[in-house]
Amino acid sequence: MKQTADTAQERNALMEKIQMVDFALVELTLYLDTHPQDSQAIQQFNQLAMESRDLKGAYEKRFGPLRQFGGSFSGYPWNWDNAPWPWQL
Amino acid sequence: MYTPIKCYQPYYGPNDPCPPIGIKCYQTPPNLYLGFQAPNMQQFPIQEALYRGTLWPVLYDPYPTPMKKGGK
Repeated sequence: MKQTADTAQERNALMEKIQMVDFALVELTLYLDTHPQDSQAIQQFNQLAMESRDLKGAYEKRFGPLRQFGGSFSGYPWNWDNAPWPWQL
Repeated sequence: MYTPIKCYQPYYGPNDPCPPIGIKCYQTPPNLYLGFQAPNMQQFPIQEALYRGTLWPVLYDPYPTPMKKGGK
């Protein structure tokens, strides 16, 4: 897949959004471990979880699978090992 | 209010063979002073939280380096 400059930039922007949502999810998870009754935080957590799933779906449709072992659908040919890897972005 | 960094001057004895250390500083992050985190506290916007390193401004700590001479 030819990597033009704008798709690379777009890809980074989308990956950054995913990282932001995932970071907030990690923070909320740690918070909810000690505050199980906080319904407002749980509601925010579920909202972000949906958002994260949608963002990852959009990313995978355009740039290939992010997660393995069934976490994402595979393109044809088997392309989850193509560079750049998600953590290299 | 707490300070994120604290420094002190170690005693320098007259018979001390080594040169004086000067000032030694150590970090005191906000979680030391927070105790049990209250629910529904003010949060950073999601975009900013990633670059601040925390979701809650109360816990934000840039880990300042000691400005003064010496220090750890």
